[in-house]
Amino acid sequence: MSIRTRIAALAAASAMGLLATVSAHAEGTLSIYAWADSISPDMVAKFEKETGIKVTVDAFSSNEDLLTKLQAGSSGYDIVTPSQHFVKIMVDSGLLEDIGASSMPAFQQILPEWQKQWWDPTGNYSVPLAFGNAGFTVNRDLYNGPVDSWKVYFEPSAELKGKIASLAQPDEVIPAAENYLGIPYCSEDPKEMKRVLDLLQAQKPFVAAYSSDNIENRVGSGEVAMHFWWDGNTMRLRRNDKANVEYAMPKEGLVGWLDSYVVPKGAANLENAQKFINFMTQLDNATEQYNYYGHSSPVKVDHDKALYNKENAPELFPTVPVKMGQACSPAAQELVTKVWTQLLQ
Amino acid sequence: MKPRPKSPGWNVLGLLPAQLIMLLTLIIPVGIIVLVSFSTRGPYGGFDFVFTTAPYKQILFNEGWTGELEFNPQYLIVVGRTLVLSLVTTAICTVLSFPVAYFISLQRASVKMMLIYLVTLPFWVSMIVRVYSWIIILGNDGVIAKALRALGLVDNMGSLLFTDTAMLVGLVYSYIPLMILPVFASIEKLDSALVEASHDLYGSRLTTLRRVILPLCKPGMMAGAILVFVPCLGAVLEPTLLGGGKTMMMGNLIQLQFGAARNWPLGAAISIVLMSAVLIFLMWRGLQAVRREGREGDV
Repeated sequence: MSIRTRIAALAAASAMGLLATVSAHAEGTLSIYAWADSISPDMVAKFEKETGIKVTVDAFSSNEDLLTKLQAGSSGYDIVTPSQHFVKIMVDSGLLEDIGASSMPAFQQILPEWQKQWWDPTGNYSVPLAFGNAGFTVNRDLYNGPVDSWKVYFEPSAELKGKIASLAQPDEVIPAAENYLGIPYCSEDPKEMKRVLDLLQAQKPFVAAYSSDNIENRVGSGEVAMHFWWDGNTMRLRRNDKANVEYAMPKEGLVGWLDSYVVPKGAANLENAQKFINFMTQLDNATEQYNYYGHSSPVKVDHDKALYNKENAPELFPTVPVKMGQACSPAAQELVTKVWTQLLQ
Repeated sequence: MKPRPKSPGWNVLGLLPAQLIMLLTLIIPVGIIVLVSFSTRGPYGGFDFVFTTAPYKQILFNEGWTGELEFNPQYLIVVGRTLVLSLVTTAICTVLSFPVAYFISLQRASVKMMLIYLVTLPFWVSMIVRVYSWIIILGNDGVIAKALRALGLVDNMGSLLFTDTAMLVGLVYSYIPLMILPVFASIEKLDSALVEASHDLYGSRLTTLRRVILPLCKPGMMAGAILVFVPCLGAVLEPTLLGGGKTMMMGNLIQLQFGAARNWPLGAAISIVLMSAVLIFLMWRGLQAVRREGREGDV
């Protein structure tokens, strides 16, 4: 019966999606689907005031959720913010609108090293929003040891039993394990991926939870001593909540990500979406957004007004290699899924 | 007065709204799921309408780490765990809800109303919020841990959260109202004369409970058992939030296929298998009930 209910919910949701698409044709609206708390509400308010466009922002918590939603069709959103490898998958699958980003004013604001990268070689589909990396965070009240290697996270010492937490998705955890083992991302070699599984299975008795929600509470309150997490989030928890946490700098390398503004195919308010992207990348607004979100900015910011620097936010300036996450081939993705399913079976 | 000729058309027409709703919200969506389960997976999720039975084979057979096709019980393990957890949940709910329902039925009418209202109260709050609140209750610094520590009963216990027990607590908590209500209804219908008769015939309290009350409440318990067992099979929240995502139930397995695994046809195939299992179970129960009634009718 629950399956039935879920199907009914799905049908209802798609019907509502249909309605939303219809109603969204009305002038002056914009629906954004972004990572939770990733867009400055002040900037949204300012944009609404300047343009009269009514903005709604919904949150997603994984790239996979976002991709599934777009594949299911008629998401009703005008802007979504996937990470780089998912931008590539979405471009390749024809899920995105060509917004001619490379000729938009926003493009001029993008730092040269982030223009026309492999996930969007023409630069027409995406404008970057923020970048950072995935690693692990330790609570210094509970753990005093070194944090210079993935070894302390993946092969922890006995006192950390039940004191480690991982994410609910394999998307960044497996690349981190691959960094530690010296295996290339998206390996299609089953023998190599078996080693990844063995490592994660040996770590599992130490893991309290595989969860991507509520991480700040879990690691900040000391429910766990180590948590797979992101750079900027750790920095915000340390600065804003005065938590005694430290972001590790594992010498084997962090897992890099970059989120971009993109427009789903068939979006009802394409022009408003472009307006918003241009607005968010203007120097002052981009600086405000940077100060709010606390992840590195791939667009130009005003360094006099920016809050974070190497001294007060070392999390944002990694001293170890950062390897960007890749879009895996179906064969490689199959192995990733196999590792994850067998880990949690 | 002449009897008006019956128009048979009205029977059909009057039911049309119900049939339309069934068609739109049940038959068409299930049809789509069946279709997806026989489709070829797209390279990055989604599906192509190319007929294949591969998703169903994948449930049992998988390419091993060395590349050959081998029998793989990983999904069956998840199915087995789901069945066991659902059965245990149903059993606990049955045992707990009988005294609660009996207690409620003994109250004055106004109090009874109030208590029944309280039982249904949680349904007014989002399921996520209700399950989430157990994180606060069971957590390291949660109500239970703090209370036990303050009483000096334990100094340092392991976390209650993120265990199979936490998952079970969550499942029982979520679905127990669905058991209390039908059990309460059947206790309400209980003829007190029968209980008195049992006492008159020197039946002890226990005998009365065992031989008179419980058999008469059985239909309510069976209805409740189905209402609890079936949604348990599809539980997603409890394993994720309270079990810490360490072990999957079928709901999580299906979610994984549509999300990270990007294998919609396999997810659809597992859904169909789950749904068929539930249907077969319900039909078997239905048949049993019909047969029993037939037997009782003969007496």
